[in-house]
Amino acid sequence: MKAFFGKVGETAFFVFTGVYHLFHLFATVVRLIAASFVQKKVLKREHLVYQMVQMGFDSLAIICLVGAAVGMVLALQAAYQLKQFGAVLYTGSLVSVSMARELGPLVAAIVISGRVGARMAAELGTMKVQEEIDALATMGLNPIKFLVVPRCAALMAMLPCLTIITDVMGMIGGFLVGTLGVGINPALYIAKTFDALVLKDIYTGLAKSFVFAILIALISCHQGLSVEGGAEGVGKATTQAVVISIVLIIVVDCLATAIFYYAVPA
Amino acid sequence: MTENLIEVKELVKRFAERAVLDGINLGIPTGKITVIMGGSGCGKSTFLRHLIGLLTPEEGEIWVDGENIVGMKEKEMNQVRRKFGMLFQGAALFNSMTVGENVALPLKEHTDLSAEIINIIVKVKLELVGLTGFEKFMPYQISGGMKKRVALARAIALDPKIVFYDEPGAGLDPITASMIDQLILDLSRKLKITSVVVTHEMKSAFRIADKIIIFHKGRVLEVGTGEEIRNSKNPYVQQFIKGEPEGAIPFKQTSDAYLKGLLET
Repeated sequence: MKAFFGKVGETAFFVFTGVYHLFHLFATVVRLIAASFVQKKVLKREHLVYQMVQMGFDSLAIICLVGAAVGMVLALQAAYQLKQFGAVLYTGSLVSVSMARELGPLVAAIVISGRVGARMAAELGTMKVQEEIDALATMGLNPIKFLVVPRCAALMAMLPCLTIITDVMGMIGGFLVGTLGVGINPALYIAKTFDALVLKDIYTGLAKSFVFAILIALISCHQGLSVEGGAEGVGKATTQAVVISIVLIIVVDCLATAIFYYAVPA
Repeated sequence: MTENLIEVKELVKRFAERAVLDGINLGIPTGKITVIMGGSGCGKSTFLRHLIGLLTPEEGEIWVDGENIVGMKEKEMNQVRRKFGMLFQGAALFNSMTVGENVALPLKEHTDLSAEIINIIVKVKLELVGLTGFEKFMPYQISGGMKKRVALARAIALDPKIVFYDEPGAGLDPITASMIDQLILDLSRKLKITSVVVTHEMKSAFRIADKIIIFHKGRVLEVGTGEEIRNSKNPYVQQFIKGEPEGAIPFKQTSDAYLKGLLET
């Protein structure tokens, strides 16, 4: 019994210190990004562009593939169910709205947390283990300014873009299945796709993906920077980064959907 | 006695109640090479991390060039760090950058020099460590000894007053290690850099040291020139410099004695 409560207390302590450190890191990053608008030296353009290419451009293939696959599956399942009500025509609407509002941001964030988050955690973790972070500090270069800020800023810019691409690819996937597989008239499908879509669907999705980007970048960088103890530590941090990111993405997604559903008018 | 550039007073550091540094008092003379020696786990690397401000002590003062760096804010500390160069045990080169970019990094970040001038400085610094024309190589393409030399070139890029060396000869063959020693000597004599070398390699220590400080269990055990340390009467110092398994510290320890030893530190 005692051991049980001890474990609960220990876990709670870890969670709270983790949250505290994350908020601290978040505050520092926000302050530095704000400062970068005034002082050019804080965030160098070459570092930002390099990270944006690494995170955004290099993720395009997998994002397109996953987005299209999700759209296809969605169209197929939707058509199968809608057929019972004689509403197969609405497949296009269902796919476009659910991609823009929910699946686009969520799928893009989960793919990117696996691809980019893991990479960030492993990269920073290895740097920590090999004393490179200490070397930066010794040179008077703040590791947060030098390593975390470009990564956070790049992901905050790129994840919404990747989300739009996921949305579009999902709709294209849905279109292919809907027209070629289910046999809906292409013109009708397209018309239904855009009929249902309103601006709110798009911008709530993008707002969510912006928040997810902050979560992924902060958690992954924090995990990487707090690595201790060699290769095992790096492995652990990488896993933790992806797991914590995905869990938080889903939790925040629930909250955000509820907020947008009840609080923001269409 | 020459003036001290670094002065450490009553430095105490505890990791979870265990005092790793237990009241260190010492001075690092200006323009000389000071070697800090001691067995594994005696606190010498921890001590070095305090000097560069990566760790904060529980008690005590560290005066660097007339400023106490204990309790200093990050911004002021970064100003003090401009006076430092540090050679890490594993070289700690940035693996995503070329040799030239590594050396150029402190120059790019801390000065407003143009790219051409930075390139010239990088060439000069690499030449100083005997690596002319290696700018385009990546760190994983060069040997361990070369990495150490590149790291040294990076450490002296901003012409620091003080260079810290953490185990400069560790993991290198005797010839390469002695080349690194020669570099330390050259830099200290020619550029008048104050050097602090942490090592446990006796040969190299006696070859380069103006002053030797021996640590034992988080305290300063003996201070002196190479000659004075060699003639020390302290049985631990004698065992340490001769590298014998039996002596003041017995080779075989009973578990009680080991536990007692742990509790003492």
